[in-house]
Amino acid sequence: MNQALWVAKTGLDAQQTRMSVVSNNLANVNTTGFKKGRAVFEDLIYQTCRQPGAQSTQDTQLPSGLMIGTGVRTVATEKLFQQGNLVQTHNSMDMAIEGRGFFQILMPNGDMGYTRDGSFQINSEGEVVMSNGYPLQPGVVIPEEAQTIGISQDGIITVQLPGQVDPQELGQIQTADFINPAGLQPIGENLFLETAASGAAQESTPGANGLGQIVHCALETSNVNIAEELVNMIETQRSYEANSKALSTADSMIQFANNNLAR
Amino acid sequence: MDRMLYVAMTGAKQTMYAQAVNNNNLANANTHGFRQSLAYAYTEPLRGPVYDSRDYVQVADEVIDFCKGAMQATGRDLDIAIQGDGLLAVQAEDGTEGYTRAGDLHIDAQGIMRLGNGLTVLGDGGPISIPPAESILIGADGTVTIRPLGGAPQGLAAIERLRLVNPPTQDLIRSEDGLFRRRDGDPAPADANVRVASGMLETSNVNTVGALTRMMELTRHYETQVKMMSTADNLGKTNNRLLGIS
Repeated sequence: MNQALWVAKTGLDAQQTRMSVVSNNLANVNTTGFKKGRAVFEDLIYQTCRQPGAQSTQDTQLPSGLMIGTGVRTVATEKLFQQGNLVQTHNSMDMAIEGRGFFQILMPNGDMGYTRDGSFQINSEGEVVMSNGYPLQPGVVIPEEAQTIGISQDGIITVQLPGQVDPQELGQIQTADFINPAGLQPIGENLFLETAASGAAQESTPGANGLGQIVHCALETSNVNIAEELVNMIETQRSYEANSKALSTADSMIQFANNNLAR
Repeated sequence: MDRMLYVAMTGAKQTMYAQAVNNNNLANANTHGFRQSLAYAYTEPLRGPVYDSRDYVQVADEVIDFCKGAMQATGRDLDIAIQGDGLLAVQAEDGTEGYTRAGDLHIDAQGIMRLGNGLTVLGDGGPISIPPAESILIGADGTVTIRPLGGAPQGLAAIERLRLVNPPTQDLIRSEDGLFRRRDGDPAPADANVRVASGMLETSNVNTVGALTRMMELTRHYETQVKMMSTADNLGKTNNRLLGIS
């Protein structure tokens, strides 16, 4: 079938994907610890209709060829792991990572999930859990009678118990790092899974081995920049329009041939 | 009479090819580092015995427009844009060296530097391997510096230099995988004068307004050719009617 039609169709597809990525970024502009995505495009393979450089006679070569590109494709929708802004919340269970690293979360199926969302809560058994109830790993149980909770930069959780002078140490939060965070698989609920592309999780103490420190009573906002996304949206829309115009033009060319020939 | 039909037919067919080239430019208006192709037509004479009436048309798209795209700030350290002329060397899937203007670099799980589409980025000494690093910086001449995991701010280590080349653009052709290669297939020598900017990406150089105008022009041209074909058809019909025995 007509090449021009199919090339324009790939353009529409790609812009549609980019629009979904932009909308998802905008929808998550207030999601704690959210990392924005970006659609990466590449041109599809080229189809040689006339080989450039072929011999036209024994002594001469064709100076030019005809290579028709077959369009564009979305090669990745990668996550950009730039630091989001830190906001003070004064909530003693909130923590943010300033720098590299992820909190480790035990998922219901026993797998380990990773998140930058530090809005933790305490469940009925005193466990530190994410807002969706999945517990932080290594697990920490906060005693019922605890009066205040403190979390140090390197992740040591201490509580003040009634009648005691010294705070009691409950455990230390360990964070995980990946050589290629962009290879992590986002699964929703602010969680990521390890993949072959991300590399194995390297667990360590916050603040050591290049991992970021923990900031207590603060949350990391999403790293989406609204102005940037709106510009992306305008660009996407205009490209979509141009491709849709190309599609209808290719169609009208065939239509013209159909209506005017062989009657 | 049928000569007219065939000449007009090649015109229409080649216009459709030119439209596909143009649509490919439009489809890649948001592909980072993409360079548009310009389709042009030339005559392909085919001399008959009587008089010189047959000049068929042939469309070629070899001309790659190497003018610059716009710079887009992304703020990501591993995004690079080549300032001015020059190309970044990558290893194509068939193992050969190809060149590109796209600059969204990544580090994979093995520490190898790759482009967004998975092709290995080449340094002066082959593929670039990055040890676990807290931050990776790319200098204006393509030098890759890292701050190792847990390293002090002053403990930076220069790892490699990106292989940047600057062959004359008339020597470059686009291969079927979309990478640029030298016409003779030989690798280009590294050029120390190519400059890159980090935290930036170069957009495609497709001029959308220009491409849309060209699209209209090609449509009208196509319609003219089809009109010629239907005129040739009418002439044939009239011939048959006047000369036919009925």
